[in-house]
Amino acid sequence: MTLLELTGVTASYGPVQVLDGVELTVPEGGSVGILGANGAGKTTTLRAISGTVRTGGRIKFEGRDIRGLRPDQVAARGVAHVPEGRGTLGQLSVRENLLVGAYLRKDRGAISRDIDYCLDLFPQLQDRVGSRAASLSGGEQQMLAVARAFMAKPKLLLLDEASLGLAPSTSKAVYEAIRRLRLESGIAMVVVEQNANLAFSLVDTATVLETGRNVLTGSSAELKGMDEIRRAYLGG
Amino acid sequence: MKIRNKPDGVLGIVAMASIIALSLSGCARDGAGQGNGSGSSPGITDTAITLGVTTPLSGPTAGPGTCTVAGLAAYFGSVNAAGGVEFGDGKTRTVDIKSYDDAYDPQKALSNFQQMVSDGVFAVTSGLGTPTNRAFREAAISQQVPQVLVMTGDPLFSDREESPWQLGFVPIYENEGAAFGKLLAESDAQHKVAILSQNDDYGKGYVAGFKEAIGGAANVSVVGELTYEATDTSVDAQLTQLAASGADVFFNAMSITPLVISSLQKAQQIGWTPSWFLPSNTSSPTAILQPGGAGAYPGIYSVSFSKAPQSPAFAQDADVVKFLADLKQYGNYPDMPAFPHCMWSYMVGATLEEAFKNMTEPTRENFMTALRDIKGLQAPLMLEGTAVDTTTDGQPAVSTVLVQKYDGRGYGTVENFG
Amino acid sequence: MPAMSSVLANKSTRVILIAVVAIALVVAPLILPAFTNQTLVRIGVYAVAVLGLNIVMGYTGQVNLGQIFFVGLGAYVTAYGVNHDWNIILVFVAACVVPGLVGLLVALAAARLGGLAIAMVTIALPIVGVPLAKRLDEFTGGSQGTSARFTDAPDWSGLYNDQWQFYIVLLVTAAAFLLGRSLVRGKYGRAFGVVRENEAVAASMGISPYRTKVLAFTVASIFGGASGFLYLAAVQYTSPETLSFGHSISLVAAMVIGGAGSIAGALIGGAYYVFVPQLTNAIDPNLTTISQGAILLVVLFLLPQGLVSLPRVVRRLFRRRTSRSSLPGNPPQNSPVHQPATDAAREGLEKTERQDRS
Repeated sequence: MTLLELTGVTASYGPVQVLDGVELTVPEGGSVGILGANGAGKTTTLRAISGTVRTGGRIKFEGRDIRGLRPDQVAARGVAHVPEGRGTLGQLSVRENLLVGAYLRKDRGAISRDIDYCLDLFPQLQDRVGSRAASLSGGEQQMLAVARAFMAKPKLLLLDEASLGLAPSTSKAVYEAIRRLRLESGIAMVVVEQNANLAFSLVDTATVLETGRNVLTGSSAELKGMDEIRRAYLGG
Repeated sequence: MKIRNKPDGVLGIVAMASIIALSLSGCARDGAGQGNGSGSSPGITDTAITLGVTTPLSGPTAGPGTCTVAGLAAYFGSVNAAGGVEFGDGKTRTVDIKSYDDAYDPQKALSNFQQMVSDGVFAVTSGLGTPTNRAFREAAISQQVPQVLVMTGDPLFSDREESPWQLGFVPIYENEGAAFGKLLAESDAQHKVAILSQNDDYGKGYVAGFKEAIGGAANVSVVGELTYEATDTSVDAQLTQLAASGADVFFNAMSITPLVISSLQKAQQIGWTPSWFLPSNTSSPTAILQPGGAGAYPGIYSVSFSKAPQSPAFAQDADVVKFLADLKQYGNYPDMPAFPHCMWSYMVGATLEEAFKNMTEPTRENFMTALRDIKGLQAPLMLEGTAVDTTTDGQPAVSTVLVQKYDGRGYGTVENFG
Repeated sequence: MPAMSSVLANKSTRVILIAVVAIALVVAPLILPAFTNQTLVRIGVYAVAVLGLNIVMGYTGQVNLGQIFFVGLGAYVTAYGVNHDWNIILVFVAACVVPGLVGLLVALAAARLGGLAIAMVTIALPIVGVPLAKRLDEFTGGSQGTSARFTDAPDWSGLYNDQWQFYIVLLVTAAAFLLGRSLVRGKYGRAFGVVRENEAVAASMGISPYRTKVLAFTVASIFGGASGFLYLAAVQYTSPETLSFGHSISLVAAMVIGGAGSIAGALIGGAYYVFVPQLTNAIDPNLTTISQGAILLVVLFLLPQGLVSLPRVVRRLFRRRTSRSSLPGNPPQNSPVHQPATDAAREGLEKTERQDRS
């Protein structure tokens, strides 16, 4: 069953058209990658879903139109966004950041269980749970951002450039953990990633955007083999 | 690096509490306020008496506020230099003035009052402001501390039933309005009057006094009456409307200095040049009339009970010469006073001295009795025909005012309108 | 192990400290001189106002320059209720609810505007409030103000008025601070912090920045109203001057000086608001504006985080000095062993302080 469906989604920043009819389908529990060069519209697509940019076209989530909802309303429907640049709250402690993620939840007991789960998933955070998020390293902040999004118990996780600015070994560890999270929780994901290798480690299918339009869509296996992809995005 | 801008919770509170405790310890419960058993009230010894003034010394009313301290300090500075005041109990005491800034904030005025009680002040006097004086009036009553000869036109302070420990000094608003109304009613000519007043008790007081005085007069008719709010920044619309009424007399009960100046300018711009009446606190020749170009009008009238030091008529007056010298030497006020409050507080000093001379016991009760028994005192700087009279219930210490006419530099008393 | 024992030590010290402070607060008015009690009462009044301001400005990051309006409104409602012989509990509730409702309405409109527009709207409140208070004289007593005495000590208590007022103010202030503390440490407090730091992130967590701002603003108004009730309990008189714009700015200064985003800072801010005019009056009553400005600048330069950070700054200085002086004093082979041990213990202590907050 389809969880999320984007049809002919458009968006512009002022006079600049950024999305020009983007299509995207995410099945329940599925994981879809969005690939593309800088400025292709990857991040904007995520923003369109989470309601932080004005868009045209149709965005259906669980069969209902969510286009035009405010970001907090979209979040309340079960969409968690790990934004580019992480958006961790530097003045709050790691634990507080996690609690913020669970803001909409009422199940108190489960919340503390999920915090423990996050700390197990990202053991680096374990020691820093009382520290301010601002004092964390880049990799730890990224982990925190992912963990915080998970704390919302979303149906869909939007992951934007989780490897940005991280050392290769750190990015790898982050993606390892996200993959484990996906396996154990079954949360559906939309993954935006410059590094196609990392992306393919996490997604079932992917679409390639160019200047706000889909130019290629297929399964990871298909896309991985394609020369164009290799040349354009695998650092070839 | 770890940055924490969150507080150290309890620690902070404890730290603060100990700071408070440390900074305030050292006085005992019975130390202040309740007298000390020897029969004399706090703030008075065999050699000195301490008076307190809470008044605006900062903020928009700091100008007149500073004057309420300067005149008093000038008067008693001179008296102390001559040895002090010989009280009715035979002891000679110097008079110390403690001043406190309330910035025209009622809460601070109360705080200052409480501080004065704690500092051992005998009586509170001379302070300017209706809300600030009202803020501690009831506290003064319940602690039986005199709050006398204060600068407010609020009649409440002169109501003996309501305010047993209070007495106002300056004429109430009605007194001023009535004095001008009376002059107009006695005029031989017909007059059409336009009234503009501040929409509060100040403006209403003036208008009520004025209207009562012209009540039976056939020669005076009110042809226009408008109000404005104390927060308005312009009254141009009202002036234009009143000008159209063709009035030859303009009764302007306005307490805001810049508004009075701009009104004086605006009316002549639109070609309306009636005779004006202005309240005593907004008729200063240097601060208001000269910048307002008052020379364009046939007459600017105000009321006063005080000689105007700026006026050439009083330049050689003995009172004025001594006053200006005292003000400079003891009042820390070297300039020509821009506000009448400097003169008024000087007269407050003289009135207090008179009460002290009649005090037979060093107590506040006895002081109040002595203070309420002054009649016909011609304090220095008082105009011929006015006097301090503290014996009439419902009236402040000074209730007679004389109508004055602007002569281009200062004011001179007039008997007749025109 | 050292971390564990310092947790226990820290916790029991806290309990003892709280108990000592509580007992001191109850006993203090009985032994302190009247003027001290009166001063403490006024500190309570303004601490509650600053606390409200801190919630909307310090914690939620929304500039509010109109807090004094709600204090004044609370004071007027209290005066009106007292003079119409309402039950005192009802008066208190009304003094909180009426400003709260007005704050809610203003916030519903203003929070949509965002950024500096909120600040502009809040500036307008006291500016409109003063003439309004003058004009609505059947409710407010006009420019002559209105008195309401309801806090004179009853005969059965055997207390002086200042002592009785102290207990009233202590009761309300303590309740306000406990409420404020649990609010900012709970779920909504976190939401405030998130909105202050990053509205986009807040929205992505399902926290509506708009509703959160409205909530913070309304809570601030309620605290303002409670402060107004206390104002009347302490001053027993209010007039349009009470809600003049300048006092609103002084409240903001007091909040920053005390410590923005800090509950204890609000209390210190209240103390600052009351003490500094008294102090500057003692220095020279003719120079209060200048000396107040000087004090403000000195505190902000030395303690940009506010007075609440003073213990921390002192501790840091002290620590730096001891570690510096211990180096040459100790035999060289000792210091490497000695130093890390104290560091670890300190680390443990700081961590528990932080954890206690969440």
